Amino acid sequence: MTDTSATFTEETLDIAGISLQLRRGGSGDPLLVLHGELGVPDWLEAHELLAQHYSVCVPSLPGFGTSSFPDWLMSVRDLSAWVNWFVRECGLPTPLNVVGFSMGGWIAAELATTNHALFSKMVLVGAAGLKPREGEIWDYFLNSAKDAFQRSFHDHESAQYLKYYGKDWTPDEAEQVETNREAAIRYLWRPYMHSVTLPDLLPAIATPTLLVWGRQDGIVPISSCEIYEDSVANAQVAVIEDCGHMPEMEKPEEFAKTVLKFLKG
Amino acid sequence: MFIGHFTEEPWQVPDWPDEWGTGIHKVSNAEYDPYRAANLYNRYLDEKIYAEEVGFDGLMVNEHHSAPFCMNGVANVQASILARITTKVKILLLGNILPIHDDPLWLAEQLAMIDVISRGRLIPGIVRGSGGESISHNIPPHYNRERFEEAHDFLIKTWTTPGPFRWEGKHFHYRYVNPWAVPYHKPHPPIWVPGTSSRETVEWCARHRYPYVMLSTQLELTREMFKIYYETAEEEGYQAGPQHMGYMFFVHVEETKAKAMEVGRTLTQGVRSPFDPGVQRPIPWIMSPPGLNSRKAVALRRQMTAPDATGKTRAGALASFEDQVATKGMIVGTPEQCVEDIRYIMDYLRPGIIIFRTGDGAMDHESQMRTLKLMGEEVLPAMRDIAKELGLPGPYEVDPATNEPVEALAS
Repeated sequence: MTDTSATFTEETLDIAGISLQLRRGGSGDPLLVLHGELGVPDWLEAHELLAQHYSVCVPSLPGFGTSSFPDWLMSVRDLSAWVNWFVRECGLPTPLNVVGFSMGGWIAAELATTNHALFSKMVLVGAAGLKPREGEIWDYFLNSAKDAFQRSFHDHESAQYLKYYGKDWTPDEAEQVETNREAAIRYLWRPYMHSVTLPDLLPAIATPTLLVWGRQDGIVPISSCEIYEDSVANAQVAVIEDCGHMPEMEKPEEFAKTVLKFLKG
Repeated sequence: MFIGHFTEEPWQVPDWPDEWGTGIHKVSNAEYDPYRAANLYNRYLDEKIYAEEVGFDGLMVNEHHSAPFCMNGVANVQASILARITTKVKILLLGNILPIHDDPLWLAEQLAMIDVISRGRLIPGIVRGSGGESISHNIPPHYNRERFEEAHDFLIKTWTTPGPFRWEGKHFHYRYVNPWAVPYHKPHPPIWVPGTSSRETVEWCARHRYPYVMLSTQLELTREMFKIYYETAEEEGYQAGPQHMGYMFFVHVEETKAKAMEVGRTLTQGVRSPFDPGVQRPIPWIMSPPGLNSRKAVALRRQMTAPDATGKTRAGALASFEDQVATKGMIVGTPEQCVEDIRYIMDYLRPGIIIFRTGDGAMDHESQMRTLKLMGEEVLPAMRDIAKELGLPGPYEVDPATNEPVEALAS
């Protein structure tokens, strides 16, 4: 496992109308990481691998982690507007590269439909936002938080599953999981994890796009990947075998290699 | 003293598997047999008519969703029927689950019609509902309290302000609020609120001077919640009294104690409410989805309902029938024994509203009718005397909104 101990900073900033938890590491061109609906527990191995090539910026989105949660944020489209605000206030040069996971992929896609100048390249990983052609997006809110993480991984022996999720949580960890669920439910409740208008806007995207999916994604069915592929011009697809909804945690090296190849290509 | 009657109106079948428990969000409605349901609905209505006949002041109706333990998915349907088939009893809804209505105007008009048809006998109580109700109707649980409060404000305005007017809130939006039906009762039908152990709810209730009815909770906890009501009332600048306090508990009366224990036990059998003592709580993330209750409220509730030094919980844990009888959570016995226990409760809690939970669980119709008869003949009259002796006026004797005497009990 890559040593991530001293290579990143974590700070709290008053920015874009909120108190923001921000993790950053690496140097070079900026790479914005938009986490998924379960939040991001740490500076992850995948972040570190990407930070060897880019200046990686991982905000905890409003309501997640220790970031504050203003009342006005009620939808993923609101959240997309917030990300745009954050990018400007943070002084990130645009266009910049973005990697969005699940809900974060949905946010990135929303932004790319409305602003062609924001992203240079976009990676959507197990992206939510669309009603799948086949199957249904797994319902986090009919299931426990523990079940959600279990369902997100194909291999329950994988190192990061065991490190963060497949164990007894401390009270603080359990509290954080609940905080993230409270944020997710406000953004995602209905229509559940998808937009009814995004499919019609996807052809507006001009940003070069890579779609990354775990073959065994148990949260967002891989049939959603097909809709993105068919609707976003020239989208590339990388399916990671023996992998669930969180390739960045389950297969960090393969994931980082795939992303870097696309970004550098 | 206002004395009400309530049954949860559970689904009854002889072969309900134990593992199905309360059935809430667990059992497919493929199990719903409309022929059996027709008999049960009509049985419960017959019992309500009889409860009026034997002298109850109010018939309480509630609703739950995707929940076999409560056959009433729509309390207003039964309230509408009662408006026509009863003549003097109050129709107590405890209540409509305000947050799950996407169109509270429709609700305002339904309730106004029920109030009018019953000639002012409706008490349209309101509740926030548990997470299950939000799940069933796909209503955002995280806006439960906001939607409750906004829908409440909207109902009151709709009932008291001549239309048309416009409503632009956070959760509800109307360009033309002008329902033809407005309530019979002026300025608007009296609102009551049930509770279990939410401090936020009891405080909200006290700020609005609405009667607060604790449901099948342990006595000591109930008194603590009433204390919060009294303290909040004082902050608001008025003196709360029995007319603001309600308490519901299980009662079963028979000619002999032995028979009462034998038949009363059926209250704790069959398809049970997940909120009752002795019942395993259902799936926690469904009953309390993220954001349904504030963190502060969850912590307070945990504190209020924590086990005492002897390990017994106070808001209803896995207590046996015998335990519940012993701790006066269930009043079971001869009329004299029941009156004695009820006197103790009346003296201890000083409520102006008492609701008998009866004919519930696996109890059969004959047993319910038998106990209703005894209640009417012996228990209710004795309670009215005790209420006079202890000075426990109900909300139809002293108006909770003004603390002024109410002239006549009947509409």
